[in-house]
Amino acid sequence: MDPTTLTTGDLAHVDDALEDAQQSKDLLSVQPPPAMFGAGGPMLKQFDQSSAASRMASQAATPPRSVVGIGNKVAKPDYSEAKIVLAMVGLPARGKSYLSNKLMRYLKWLEYSVKVFNVGQLRRSRARQKAQQSGQREDHTAQYFSHDNVEATRLRDQLATDSLEMLIQWLHDGGNVGIHDATNSTRSRRAKIEERVSKEKGFVTIFLESVCDDPAIIAANVALKVSYGDPDYKDMSREEAKQDFLRRIREYEAVYETITEPHLSYLRIINVGNQVTVCRINGYLQSRIAFYLMNLHLKPRSIFFSRHGESQYNVEGKIGGDSSLSERGSHYARALPALITDNIGDAPLTVWTSTLQRTIQTVQHLPYNKLTWKSLDELDAGVCDGMTYEEIEQAYPEDFANRDEDKFNYRYRGGESYRDVVVRLEPVIMELERQENILIIGHQAILRCLYAYFHNLPHADLPYIKIPLHTVIKLTPKAYGCDEERYTLPIGAVDTHRPKPGTVQPKVPVFAGREYFNEE
Amino acid sequence: MVAPLYTTASGLLFHAGKILVVTVGLPARGKTHISRALERYLRWTGVKTQVVSLGDYRRKILGGAQKLPPDYFTLVGEKSPETVALRKRISDGCEQLIWDFFNSGGQVVIYDANNGTRERRQALAEKFDKEGIHVIMLESLCDNEEIILSNIRSVKISSPDYRGWDPEKAVQDYYGRIRDHEAHYEPVEETDWPYIRIVNVGEKIMVNRIHGYLQSRIVFFLMNIHNRFRTIYFARSGQSLIEHSYKADSDLSPPGWEYAERLKEFVLDRRAKALQQRGVDIEDRRLVVWTSARRRSHHSAWPFLNLTENDKVKLPRVKVVEKPQMSEINPGVWDGLSPDQVRKFYPDEWERFVRDPYAYRAPRAESYHDLCVRLEPTLIELEREQEDLLIIGHASVIRCMLAYLIGLPASEIPAIEVARGDLIEVVPTSYGVHSQAYHFWDGPGRSQNGGGVGKDEHNFYENYAEDTQGKRRPQTAEAVDAIPS
Repeated sequence: MDPTTLTTGDLAHVDDALEDAQQSKDLLSVQPPPAMFGAGGPMLKQFDQSSAASRMASQAATPPRSVVGIGNKVAKPDYSEAKIVLAMVGLPARGKSYLSNKLMRYLKWLEYSVKVFNVGQLRRSRARQKAQQSGQREDHTAQYFSHDNVEATRLRDQLATDSLEMLIQWLHDGGNVGIHDATNSTRSRRAKIEERVSKEKGFVTIFLESVCDDPAIIAANVALKVSYGDPDYKDMSREEAKQDFLRRIREYEAVYETITEPHLSYLRIINVGNQVTVCRINGYLQSRIAFYLMNLHLKPRSIFFSRHGESQYNVEGKIGGDSSLSERGSHYARALPALITDNIGDAPLTVWTSTLQRTIQTVQHLPYNKLTWKSLDELDAGVCDGMTYEEIEQAYPEDFANRDEDKFNYRYRGGESYRDVVVRLEPVIMELERQENILIIGHQAILRCLYAYFHNLPHADLPYIKIPLHTVIKLTPKAYGCDEERYTLPIGAVDTHRPKPGTVQPKVPVFAGREYFNEE
Repeated sequence: MVAPLYTTASGLLFHAGKILVVTVGLPARGKTHISRALERYLRWTGVKTQVVSLGDYRRKILGGAQKLPPDYFTLVGEKSPETVALRKRISDGCEQLIWDFFNSGGQVVIYDANNGTRERRQALAEKFDKEGIHVIMLESLCDNEEIILSNIRSVKISSPDYRGWDPEKAVQDYYGRIRDHEAHYEPVEETDWPYIRIVNVGEKIMVNRIHGYLQSRIVFFLMNIHNRFRTIYFARSGQSLIEHSYKADSDLSPPGWEYAERLKEFVLDRRAKALQQRGVDIEDRRLVVWTSARRRSHHSAWPFLNLTENDKVKLPRVKVVEKPQMSEINPGVWDGLSPDQVRKFYPDEWERFVRDPYAYRAPRAESYHDLCVRLEPTLIELEREQEDLLIIGHASVIRCMLAYLIGLPASEIPAIEVARGDLIEVVPTSYGVHSQAYHFWDGPGRSQNGGGVGKDEHNFYENYAEDTQGKRRPQTAEAVDAIPS
């Protein structure tokens, strides 16, 4: 007799046992009480109405606003004290713009106000204006960059000074970090910058020198420069452009002085993250910038994101909770390993999940090294945990509309806002920069924040990014952005996306080329 | 910014391998202070660390300076062969201690000694590098005479070497010792070894060839510490309308508001007295108040935002900062339940919690370990802060921070008693901190019956303290092994 088939006798036996168990309920595990102060119950509303009397005893002149309902908006942190001028230093094709863009992306994600002032762009736009006005075309080939060309040198100095002035004005108008993206390769130029900035009270100058002696990296940078539509080389053939660019580099090399001045605050990065020298960096933001730059690397790798498989709560429309996967979610978990190994083959991969069951269950069939992070847990919905959106709307209609308007700043009572999630994901981003191939199984809010970091999306759009279930997103960091590919498995799932009321879904620019600003 | 702990196959953390940090510097340059701070930080992040101090070892083996041959410290001229043998015995003994620690699973050793000559450093580094241990030179330079003098006065002349000496003579003798060393001191110039150079205990830092995660964390930490004297105060938030509901985020109750007023008066008073004692003008130093984003915590700081001229002390400059990362430990599904209810509804989880309260994570909750990981950026900011600091927080958060500052092992964190109505004052001393608790409030919220010992029966994290050994009242607790050298 096959031991795996059940006879009717067995089934009857089980039936009887179940009936017995149901009757004697206290033998089964006792049901725990529901969350006392969840938004679904009456206690929260009662409590809010009754607390009106509490502030009578306070001697404070104006009693502070208390939170009622399910949450409220919270203000942006105040960074007005930070005013930093970050001047790049280095020969052409050393990755200065790459570093300044990465840094800008990181600081913007942390909600600092950052802007890059690229002297090359200024040069091109001025030349264009001049060409339009007077019909004269300036010659910006390698000749222009030679230090023997007195007139051109004067013009270039003027450009750098003008850029710096614009930067300082921008900082006065409320910016936090202005990045002066130029070669700044001579001691005298740096001394001028230092001197000009020291006249402003409270402004700090840091120099970031990018040194590169790996010929492969330099060659790759040169190729990038001449092939990506750099407007300087629009009219030339690729070979000519390359020769001209190499000549330009040689002109700069002739006068290049690496930073050795002991009184300057500077960071020297060699071969992007291979080695870092930090000198006289004090200040909180500066030390964070230094730490971030120390953790970068250029090795090619891919980052995979996926949400957990469809969970029970997704099916029921509830938010939060720690439910298991549904039938379709388990199907996804079984199909995931094949998708991943198809994509990366034998390369090593690290897998990160949150501590919630649904992500851990999603990765159970993967053969890689897995790590659980508490910081990857879903956005804490506080009092609304375990309710559906309809229930919340019924219980607290104005609050509900309030949140949909401005999700980024809205903090659930007893829970978090998207901003809080960004703050707690910062260590994850730091770790991500250091890792090589990695797969993150996370939740909707978490992946939105990480995705916004890699694609440099503004915070207002962050909470409305579409991250559907059962889709693996592959990001490959490239020179000036990330290449993206999405792999949707043909396993159905509910759609948990809620767009911002009254607007169109923001489009993600999938463009990994270098942006040449203001090109009309 | 610490990743969750994971040990690699070798039993070490973060793929960092073994690291030997060799301190380099003239006497009284703050090497021991930096080594101790680094050890405390690394231990707190879970890395097995130890400081091996040449001076301490010498005192242990040979006794104080009185027992040493007179030419022990001179570097000029020849030493007698016995002295040379003696010195070699001491340095070999230290190296043996380092090897022992590495072989028993340790990951980082900080070798605290002068190491002033290039030849000595080279020999040491090569010996350890051969075995695959990463060597980092940590040089501490100081050109500020005041710092050197204050180092000597605060630490050196009270060491066993100078027992029974007249203080002024001791200072002069120590200066003599420094001069002897200066003659032979070779600052770190060799670029083949990774090194970190700290000038004036944190004023400037130069770093060379530092790769690796743990190494860059060490550098980040060193960039953020300083030697300036400032006081840290810890206080709990006032009693709230609903005690122990994480989600309800309730406001303060009427006694809670009284508590906030009383807290403000007491802190300003205490601080004014302390500053007066040290002869510092209250106008110069700001008081920074950190609260969490919870209502009751932020509202406990409300009186500080409304300081009026009527206050009896001169109006100090106060800044209040809200830090959402400092919210209390998340109780998960145990939110709002009393310990009895938890025992009834979640018996298995309660069992596991009682066995290991530090690392156990209840369903949807955080463990104390998760809380520590979450608080790590806040602790770095605490190290950075050069002004006096008042932290109005929650009991669980204060426990973790106190454990870090005092250097307590992780398993003791859940048992630290932090009563509402106690102001805990932490002051940096030579190689650690000095902490003291001041009782300032006795109203409701201190305990369910009002008055008596400050324990809250409904908060099971508090009650749990009853069951463990190793209760620690934060009184005059110096850091472990703080032997001034």
